[in-house]
Amino acid sequence: MITTNSLTKNFKSYKKEPGLRGSIKNIFKREYITKPAVEGFDLNIKKGEIVALLGPNGAGKTTLMKMFTGIIVPSSGQVQVMGHEPYKRNKEFRKKIALVMGQKSQLWWDIPAMDSLLLLQKYYEIPKDDFDQKIKKMAALLNVEELLHIHVRKLSLGERMKMELMASLIHSPDVIFLDEPTIGLDLIAQESIRSFIREYHKNNDTTIIITSHYMADVQALCERIVLIIDGKKGYDGTLKSFENILGSEKVVTFVYDTKQDPTDAIWQGLDAKWDNNHQQVDLRLPEKKLREITSQILIQSPVIDFHTEKLPIERVMKVLMENPKILHK
Amino acid sequence: MISLKWIDKWWQTMKTAWSNYMTYRYNLFLQVVGPALVFFFIKYNLWNSIYDGDLELEIGGYTLSSMIQYHIWGFILTMLAKGHHAVDLGQEIRLGRISSYLIYPFNFWEFHAASFVAFQAYQFIVALISLAFFYYTGLLGPLNIEALALGILYAQFISIFWFILQFATGLMAFWLEETWILRVILEIMTAFLSGAFFPLEIYPQFIQNILQYTPFPYLTYYPIKIFMGEELSLWAPILTISFWMALGIILNYLLWKRGLKLYTAAGM
Repeated sequence: MITTNSLTKNFKSYKKEPGLRGSIKNIFKREYITKPAVEGFDLNIKKGEIVALLGPNGAGKTTLMKMFTGIIVPSSGQVQVMGHEPYKRNKEFRKKIALVMGQKSQLWWDIPAMDSLLLLQKYYEIPKDDFDQKIKKMAALLNVEELLHIHVRKLSLGERMKMELMASLIHSPDVIFLDEPTIGLDLIAQESIRSFIREYHKNNDTTIIITSHYMADVQALCERIVLIIDGKKGYDGTLKSFENILGSEKVVTFVYDTKQDPTDAIWQGLDAKWDNNHQQVDLRLPEKKLREITSQILIQSPVIDFHTEKLPIERVMKVLMENPKILHK
Repeated sequence: MISLKWIDKWWQTMKTAWSNYMTYRYNLFLQVVGPALVFFFIKYNLWNSIYDGDLELEIGGYTLSSMIQYHIWGFILTMLAKGHHAVDLGQEIRLGRISSYLIYPFNFWEFHAASFVAFQAYQFIVALISLAFFYYTGLLGPLNIEALALGILYAQFISIFWFILQFATGLMAFWLEETWILRVILEIMTAFLSGAFFPLEIYPQFIQNILQYTPFPYLTYYPIKIFMGEELSLWAPILTISFWMALGIILNYLLWKRGLKLYTAAGM
């Protein structure tokens, strides 16, 4: 479905010293810098997969998305999406893809969303009955029936994002590229967008490529993760094995309403991390011993609350971003 | 090839453009009428001072009243042929807003061309209202309907040339941070060489001879003459403008092809 081979994109920019002096100097002499945003990238994505492209800011995720959609031209290497070379921007190719940009609106700002949708209906040559049916169904699922005739600029960010999703799915694309689709949204809107995408994928078996800084998006939607660090592929595998990169340990937190003694015998050999008041402790426990040690602590100390971490992927991402070398060990 | 679906795409794009224009209808009205009106009043006062109220005086074969008529037709022509501009295009490229258009299965130039046609229709109405205004003030003298119809048709023809030229300046945003300066240079140069400031009879003969091989005289001077009812051969202007249009289309194609390679889709 999507294959890349040694895909590389370099961006050229120039250095500029601050202030007027720097500006004048710049007119006569410019020091150009060529920086690879994506370097020697190999990837293979099958039909129907949902893949998360993860990585810190500036890692090259969005540059990859831009190359997949044909918005920018690769500097070298090959990229093929459904047999098309995206940068050639063949019309047949454009009819099969969709892109949702969380940071940029694709809808026309000064007209109601419905007008934009009608325009897209013509561009994608969607029969009227089919179009009406899709609008009705998606608007009901996203709960935006009342908002279709309101000017886009008057919608909230969450409402607008729902409209963006509708606009990008109206032509039933084979591949959907979602670039940070939940950025800046409140928790309810995030959840609503996630469940819509999940449902859409279930019913249509669409291939979905998603970038997001919210690990909850990844946890809820993706089975496969591709981690990009400094333009290169750092990891490519399942979500489950990604969570276990740092070992199969679980973090368990115990909470007390009184100050505890960290030197007590029950904490020996457990590498306990206490908060300043000694009322909360985090333990990293091997998965096999989780049950045994947790029961002991619950019996031997006055625990008022305890929980295991909800998103282990978040911890793994944090550790890998701070120290990417772990991946090469 | 022209098909019903293709017409549908253009028509819907034009309707969307009208919706967009109508959102800021007062701004748009000022944008269409404002610059042309200011330019007209500057010229009106300039020529009034030059003639100093002498109704018999002739400069380059023009009396004060025919000179004012020349510039009124220039004002109408500006609205009929020249109002659409590529400010948005340059900005869209610079701020990375053309990304969506690159994904839709409808060409970017077609989107802009359809918006241009929509704008022309709007401008046409404003130009007719202005024409009626000048006619009833008596400044314009008697109207020759045949000349008016021919002038309007010719104005539509050169509006396509203007669109191609403006599109090219917009595409320069792939290379330049700001494209407005290009447009200003182009505007001033055209105003002088096309007869928008002074009728071309005022220029020395050798300049007039050189200008006839450029598109300039056919952009303002010729259409004004058509509106004023002078019988002119249209072959030379149509052939010259068509030649420059073809050149402009090739230039735009090359700029687009090369520019896209530099496009970074900033801000996404």
